[in-house]
Formats: sequence, structure tokens, C-alpha cells
Amino acid sequence: MEILFYIFSILIIYSSIMVVASKSPLTSALYLILSFFVLAGFYVILDMQFIAAMQILVYAGAIMVLVVLVIMLLNLEKYKNIKTDMHQKFISGLIFMVLFVEIALFILTGAGRKPTGIFTSEVIKRVGNTQVIGEFLFTKYIFPFEISSILLLVAIIGAYLFAKKRF
Amino acid sequence: MLFWIIAEIIKILVVFTGLLLAAAYLTLLERKVAARIQNRLGPREAGWHGILQPIADGIKLFFKEDIMPSGANKALFILGPMIAVIPALTTFSVIPFGAPITIFGHAVPLQITDVNIGILLILAFTSLGVYGVVLGGWASNGKYSLLGGIRTAAQMVSYEISLVLSIVGIIMIAGALSLAHIVGEQSHIWFIVYQPVGFVIYLIASTAEMNRVPFDLGEAEGELVAGFHTEYSSMEFAFYFIGEYAQIVVNSAIITTLFLGGWQGPFLPPVIWFLIKVSLVILIYLWFRWTYPRLRYDELMSFGWKFLLPLSLANIVVTGFVMLFIR
Repeated sequence: MEILFYIFSILIIYSSIMVVASKSPLTSALYLILSFFVLAGFYVILDMQFIAAMQILVYAGAIMVLVVLVIMLLNLEKYKNIKTDMHQKFISGLIFMVLFVEIALFILTGAGRKPTGIFTSEVIKRVGNTQVIGEFLFTKYIFPFEISSILLLVAIIGAYLFAKKRF
Repeated sequence: MLFWIIAEIIKILVVFTGLLLAAAYLTLLERKVAARIQNRLGPREAGWHGILQPIADGIKLFFKEDIMPSGANKALFILGPMIAVIPALTTFSVIPFGAPITIFGHAVPLQITDVNIGILLILAFTSLGVYGVVLGGWASNGKYSLLGGIRTAAQMVSYEISLVLSIVGIIMIAGALSLAHIVGEQSHIWFIVYQPVGFVIYLIASTAEMNRVPFDLGEAEGELVAGFHTEYSSMEFAFYFIGEYAQIVVNSAIITTLFLGGWQGPFLPPVIWFLIKVSLVILIYLWFRWTYPRLRYDELMSFGWKFLLPLSLANIVVTGFVMLFIR
């Protein structure tokens, strides 16, 4: 299992760097798909098969198809000569610093922590993690679940309003 | 442990060669069925009643010149056909094709692996098939290829939603995502009896997902030459072909497993039952192709979004209510 972790880590770091480093948008999108796959691999290592399958089904299979489709329909020649300015570099540097501090703090303080509650990994293995996730979504976390579904509904209606013909 | 590894390798080899052979001979079967429907005889030259025709076709394609269009993206041009084949072959790894058998005191399930999220894995891999078509169409650097690829992508994304939702009823009744468990649940009555609407939706949506007539807008030969594989020749073209026919076999196996009781059946051995059911479903797909004319593009989209999607949602709601009242 540990060797898999290292293989996946190298792959995901490489593909994530290629997402931002490659010149062609389509290549970036394909590397992003690869990194989603590797992320699904991490979930499998963590015994979360349901989330792994959802990662591939939703992100790699649906969302990225639409991204690839949009890239194909764009006229890419127009965007070749766009240069980044200092302003963009400053913001990205700031975000990088914040994320770095966050990750460093998490690693330094969270090392000894173990999962708490009655759902230990043995229980989850016996019940099946799909069932546990389903039960939690419809009992304890029903409120965030419904909120996010309303958010999606709003997004759908918004897209419809933009796309519909003007009167 | 050693026994387990050997058993797994043998199962993988059997499934792999079986799928490739089935894909090859499906081309012959399709030509024979088409010929019968159109009152012809079909291929008869190579071997007895054309039995060697797929091998002759394979050899011909293998020795054809491999043409790369100028301005094509080389890596993606080769990657496209590969991606079209791999998901189709991988999907079969979770499908149980027979009852567990005992060899030297070890119980061997006739299924490469029984993961607890079997159905989701199938759906995840099916959703990846679109990349083969889209990347191939884009990388060819041609108008017709690009149009075919874009049409196919839009179509497959639309019909995938109905495909996924049509299975939810089965998951609700069986109470599990593992395919071995679902087959076990159907020992008394097949799920097609509980889910006739789900079965029909799956049949239609999977035909659209495979880009077969009447949903083959991506390669409509009257408008787009040959659609996304216009520029392909030689073995790369053959790979698209293998991918398409392997997908027919895999989809028929999925329908058999989910709706028709899998390998369950009286008298005959389970593997034989599985093969009989799969070939019957394959014949339905072939029959579709030679019966219906192609849909217009707007008809296709409005059928998918305005009819199939609400129907599959209604199917889930009705299934839920019936289950609630019966308990």
C-alpha cells in the first residue's frame, strides 16, 4: 500500500504541475483528468471506494468532458499572445503562501490525531462505506446536503436564464 | 495465495480473449443479420458461410498503410482509439459470468473481482468512453472529424444522465451496489419484472451511449463522411471498431446481470445461461440498428432531455413509493 501511495504522489504532483505549465489548454485539461484519476486512486487506498467511483464518474466523466468540449469550440489562436502581468503574479503568490502555511500547520499539529466516533474503519468495512455515507447524508448532514442541492438548482436556473433567447 | 493469483490470471485471460473474439465475430453476425433483414445472404466467400471473414478483415486492416493527417496532434491521434477500447474491456472485470465453482477445494467466483461498488465502477468506466471519440475527432485536424466528435460528446453526456438514473431503481430494490449480490437477489424473480421502464430506458440510453443507429449522429455518413473516424486508417481504425463491438458485448452483459437474472437459470450450467442471455440482448441491439432510421440532431436532444430524463426520474419516484407501500 505504501509503494502505491508514493507512485500516486509522484504522478499527481507531475500531472498537477503540467496542468499549469503546459501551453496548450487541451493538454492541461487532459493532465487535469489524469490528476483526478490519481486522486481516485488515493481514495481507494483510504478504503473509500464510493468517493473514488464518484470522483471518476462526476469529475473525469462528466465535468471534464464539458471542459474539453468548450476548449475545442474556442478559437485558441486569439489567446496565444496574452501575457501575465505583475498583478496576477502577486495574487497567485499570496494564495500560494496562504495554502502553504495552512498545509504546514495541518501537518505539524494534526499528526497524532485519530478518527473518533463509533464509525471506526472496522465498522465501515462491515457495513460498507456507501451505506454509511448515505445514512449520514440523510440524517446528520441533511442540512448541508439540501443547501448544496439548492445551490445546484440555482446554478441550473441561472444557466437557463443566460441561455434563453431575449424577448 | 498462489492459487488465487493463478486463478485470477486465468480468468483475466479467458475474459480478455473471449471479449476480443466476440467483438471480432460480432462484425460477422451484424453483417449476417443485416443481410437477412434486407433479404440478402451476407458474406459467404471466406470459409463456410463466411466464418473466416472477421479474420480476413483483421489481416487486411493490419497490413493497410497507416496514414497520419498533416497537422494532426500525433500523441492524441494515437491515444484516441486506445481510450475507446480500454474502458470497454475493463468494465467486464466486475461482471459475474457464472456461479462460483470449486477447484481443488477452493471456491472460485466466476468474476474477475467483486468490488462493493460494482455498478458505480461500470458507470464510471462507461462515462470515459466519450474521450476516445472526442480526442480522436479533435486530433485529426479536420472539419468532419471535429464536428463528429463534438456532436458525439454532447450526445453522450446527455444520454449518460438517463443511463445512470435508470439503474437507480435496481439499486433501491437490491439494496447493494455489488453485482454478485444483485444477481443473488434475482434467484426468484428477474428485476425486469419490477423495473420494465428502467430496462427500456437503459436499452435506449445505452444504444445512444454506444453511438449506434438510430443515434449515430457522430458518424452520420450522409452528412459527415464518417464522423470522428474519417481520418483514421489501418489498426487505429480497427481499434475504434473493436471498441464499439466490445461495448455491445459489455452492455448486453450489464443488461443481463442487472435485469435478466445474470447467470441464473434452470437445467443448463450457469455459464451457458449467461451466454444465451447475452447473445439474445446482442441480437436486440443489432435488430435496432437495421430497423430504425437515424434521428435528426434536435430530435435526438429533445428526446433525451425532455422525454427520457423525466421518465427515468419518474421511474425512481414511483419505485420508491411502491417500495414504501409494500413494506
